[in-house]
Amino acid sequence: MTPSDVTNTSDAMPIAAGRQSLVQRLAYSSEFGLVLLIALAVALFASTLPGFTSPFSLFTIGRQIGIDTMIGLAMMAVIVTGGLDLSVGAIGVCSAMAFGWLMERAGVPLYMGIPLAVMFGAGLGFVNGAVVVRSGVHSFIITLASMSIFFGIMIFLSQAQAFRTLPPEVLGFGKMRFGGLVSALLVFSLIVCAVLSALYRFTSLGRQMLAAGANPRAAEISGVRTGRIFIACHMLTGALAATAGLMITARTGAAVPSMAGHLGQDWLLPAFLAPVLGGTLLSGGRVAVFGTFLGAALVNIITSGLLLMRVGEFWIQAFLGLMLLAAVLTDRARHKLLQRRGMI
Amino acid sequence: MANNVLTRAFDNDWIGPALVSVLAIAVISFFQPSFLTPFNIFVLLSAVAVNMLVALGQLVIIGVGQMNLALGSIGGLVAISFGAMMELWGFPPAAAIVCGLMIGAAAGMASGFVIARTGISAFIITLAGLQIFKGINLGITEAQPFYGIPQGVKDFGNLSLIGPIPWLVVPTLIASIAVWYLFARLRIGRYILAIGGNRNAAELSGINVNATVIWAHAISGLLAAAAGIMLVARLQLGHPTIGDDWLISSFAAPVIGGAILAGGHVSVPGTFFGVVIIAIITQALVVFAIDPFVVQIVLGGLILWAVGINRLREVRVSKLLGQKA
Amino acid sequence: MIEALLVSHVSKSFPGVRALDDVSLTLSAGSIHALLGENGAGKSTLIKIITGIHKPDTGEVIVNGKVVHLANPRQAGAAGIGVVHQERNLIPRFSIAENIMLERLGRHDLSAINYDQIHAEATKWLKLLDLDIDCRMPVSRLSVAQMQLVEIGKALSLQSRVLLLDEPTASLTQNESKVLFRVLRKLADDGVALCFVSHKLEEVFEICDTVTVLRDGRNACESRSLKGLVRADVVKMMIGRAERISQRAPRPKPDAAAYLELKGYASAAGHKNISLAVRPGEILGLYGLVGAGRSELAKGILGMTRRTSGEVLVAGRPTDIGSAADALHQHGVGYVSEDRKQEGLILLHSVLGNVGITVWRKIAASFGFLRDYTVIDHTSPVLRKLEVKTPSIHQVIGNLSGGNQQKVSVAKWIAAGVKLLIIDEPSVGIDIKTKAYLHDLIHELAENGTAVLLITSDMPEMVDVADRIVVMAGFEVRGEVENDRNYERVSRAIMGYIHERKAA
Repeated sequence: MTPSDVTNTSDAMPIAAGRQSLVQRLAYSSEFGLVLLIALAVALFASTLPGFTSPFSLFTIGRQIGIDTMIGLAMMAVIVTGGLDLSVGAIGVCSAMAFGWLMERAGVPLYMGIPLAVMFGAGLGFVNGAVVVRSGVHSFIITLASMSIFFGIMIFLSQAQAFRTLPPEVLGFGKMRFGGLVSALLVFSLIVCAVLSALYRFTSLGRQMLAAGANPRAAEISGVRTGRIFIACHMLTGALAATAGLMITARTGAAVPSMAGHLGQDWLLPAFLAPVLGGTLLSGGRVAVFGTFLGAALVNIITSGLLLMRVGEFWIQAFLGLMLLAAVLTDRARHKLLQRRGMI
Repeated sequence: MANNVLTRAFDNDWIGPALVSVLAIAVISFFQPSFLTPFNIFVLLSAVAVNMLVALGQLVIIGVGQMNLALGSIGGLVAISFGAMMELWGFPPAAAIVCGLMIGAAAGMASGFVIARTGISAFIITLAGLQIFKGINLGITEAQPFYGIPQGVKDFGNLSLIGPIPWLVVPTLIASIAVWYLFARLRIGRYILAIGGNRNAAELSGINVNATVIWAHAISGLLAAAAGIMLVARLQLGHPTIGDDWLISSFAAPVIGGAILAGGHVSVPGTFFGVVIIAIITQALVVFAIDPFVVQIVLGGLILWAVGINRLREVRVSKLLGQKA
Repeated sequence: MIEALLVSHVSKSFPGVRALDDVSLTLSAGSIHALLGENGAGKSTLIKIITGIHKPDTGEVIVNGKVVHLANPRQAGAAGIGVVHQERNLIPRFSIAENIMLERLGRHDLSAINYDQIHAEATKWLKLLDLDIDCRMPVSRLSVAQMQLVEIGKALSLQSRVLLLDEPTASLTQNESKVLFRVLRKLADDGVALCFVSHKLEEVFEICDTVTVLRDGRNACESRSLKGLVRADVVKMMIGRAERISQRAPRPKPDAAAYLELKGYASAAGHKNISLAVRPGEILGLYGLVGAGRSELAKGILGMTRRTSGEVLVAGRPTDIGSAADALHQHGVGYVSEDRKQEGLILLHSVLGNVGITVWRKIAASFGFLRDYTVIDHTSPVLRKLEVKTPSIHQVIGNLSGGNQQKVSVAKWIAAGVKLLIIDEPSVGIDIKTKAYLHDLIHELAENGTAVLLITSDMPEMVDVADRIVVMAGFEVRGEVENDRNYERVSRAIMGYIHERKAA
């Protein structure tokens, strides 16, 4: 290589426009595959199942996609660190119950109650994060314990009673639809997706989260306070889980202790399914915000289609498990591809 | 020398939990003498018998350095299959038990196979397994229990062997000794711990890691199946929700018993006392008429406490060793 | 006579790298063979081929006259090739005996273990190694040297007639090494063929009979007798030229006050009574062998390990740096790690994501808002200046060559405008041209007033670049050498400091 070559390449180092070509990026992205699959599923169901495209059906599917997206984003925010949070469901329910209490018992106005409930979720996330960072123990066992503790305290305090007299705006928001078919919950989730994308792409905090997740030691040495950043990730998870809990409250019009099953375990599957399908690396350091949305969309479209085809509701649970398996196998293949291309 | 004794005492897994158990029993029976009535002891031992099997099922997987979220759903699937075989197909209990155990081992083996072959984290695979086995369970039962359990099975789950000691204790005792023997004396058990202790070294030494991981999951499935069958006997029905609440306690007991979550070190006696502590606390809440949901809080707290203690012990032991070197 | 192990014209390529090019090696029974080469010369690839971890693209491995195709370490063991890896491969909570006999605990998975037999067998091997310890003791209680011997016992117990040792003395004291050498000599006399990989040439001349040197993936010499060779010859083969007499003139001593000063510093990592000072514009070298505590000292300065006593002064003021973030953002101290993949770079992220990480906090607008072009504005001048070759600033950094990766890991600190830069083994795994470039760059940084602390085990590099050299061994400072670029004098002085107290 001659010196002029060197200067040429460095001069030619493209600054703004030099990303991979659009086609390449599309082909490699997991979003592209998801969009294809979604289009395929929609085309199939719309042509064979008459009830599938009714406005009400589309509304309910969209609503559920909105909720599952939020649950998936909550888990995604902590998968970034290479860890996980088993307590998302427990945090979601606890926050929803806290919201119900604030509305029904404490008489707090709605505009105060919502941010307080979300902050409450973030607070529970802070507890998780602080213990994980301080103890150096893997987040699995810590959040396994906190899931039990959060849920137990909630049931103990609430005596397993639901809060049903909420302001009418809550249920109203859950029923709201645009153009007769698009759920407000779906639109809200998309807005949150946009905000999170901006967080990861356009803020110092988001970048530090990705860096710390991809390689904590390198990030620490480069001046990132990885401990604080990891705690921030857990807080974000808590806030998003709380938001998901509030969305379910809006759908049903009540804060019910059993909304996420025993200990909130029912959320675990959607929480992992959506981000993993969307292309979030389980080892941390790379997120797919809109991929998570697409993942949740694919799952719910297929589930709704199968339900309309009268496949028993219970068998669909088994199917979702298989889908998670398929998703991680794909994730694995992608990881290997990245490795072969020297990116990991 | 004093250091060495200290290290050993500190390194011992079961003395701590055993002391806590004895202390807890003493304190509770002081405040509430009815705690040690034969009936209470019977209830306590029945719970210990089932939960010990559940804990052993997780212990084997912790030994290899993984986790098994599907433990409860395997137990549940076996429980309803066990009920279905007897109610629908009229299997004699013995045959149903054998088939049930085989289903459990096969389900565990399936998870183990996927984990070993793909190298994907056990967490996510067993989460998928949890969902699949639970879905099959509900698909078969449509959430309705099987009631047609033969009297002999019901008796086994509810009658006493001698005095306050239930029959249920017998299989658990056998399984506990078997698992202890597995880890202490059998090649496969040592290999499980070797992989948990240093996977790379085990691989370089020519241990077949994949086969060992599959073995571990098969054993875990087998133990979960045994626990499921025993619960059917005790509850006198094949309920589809069996296994739903095993997750937390299956980790709590081994961790209280000093198991290291990263793998390579487990203790059967320690786990036993872990199970006993959990059973005592659960029972005490009933005796003192405290809200049973407090159990959840206490279980979570116990896990954190045990993880903290184990961590301290590691640091302490390495310090003592450091001073020696 | 049939050679115990013959590696014949082996080549091996990885994506983008030709790791071995037509390499040969001969090991004979009864002799100790040295395998030498700089980092990245292909030694570890060759070892991995001999032990069945990698398959060669072309060429053959011949054991006792028979061609073998080793698909995994197990087959290598069965062919009588034992290996002691650089990293410890023992199960910490298992006993010595179990570790030695791990693959022979029983015939099949369900066989019960006969511990009496295992202990008897293991004791036999411990005796052979002159190791007088109870084989029922868990290996976690052994010293590093004892573990090393246990691993050798383990390899030998598999009837190995060929034994590879990858840097066995890296973490041993001189006395422990002596014991090890006695054992190795005994084994050779018993007819084992040994292959010894080491960076310490003194040791090689002490115990080895023959030598193979690799350079840039080729044989610089193949299995020739060490007799008649002197250190300079071997070094010349390793680096492809005589140890260069530095061409740089000694630089005048800057008269500014020290930017960083340690006084009687001791740390939780084990440092004792360390005193040194770096002035702005000065390049202070920190020389020592592997395990001397230099990288650990760097991390101590960054506040990543706890200081137990002594003082750290930054710009003359006593300071307590609590974390790497404080070190960078408050004191302008940066650290280029020797472990680029684990500590230096985030391989999953882009060039931009890596070079900008140190400045994000500084350049972010309100609410931490940060656009790519802001980061580019701050970092691209440095990337240009360092001539980082990348198709795009958005390229994933894992795809760049080692040299360009290293440039980026230095560039991020220059972009952050640090006042003190600690550079740890800057030329590991990079080509000679980039190495020379980095040396010039370090000088330029110093000329512009940056204080530089250079850590390297590469003696020519040290003599070429540093102004002053502090010698470390055993987590202590052993002495200081003024660098007048006279290689002979400086290197002898350094080695003198390293060996002086050990010998005593």
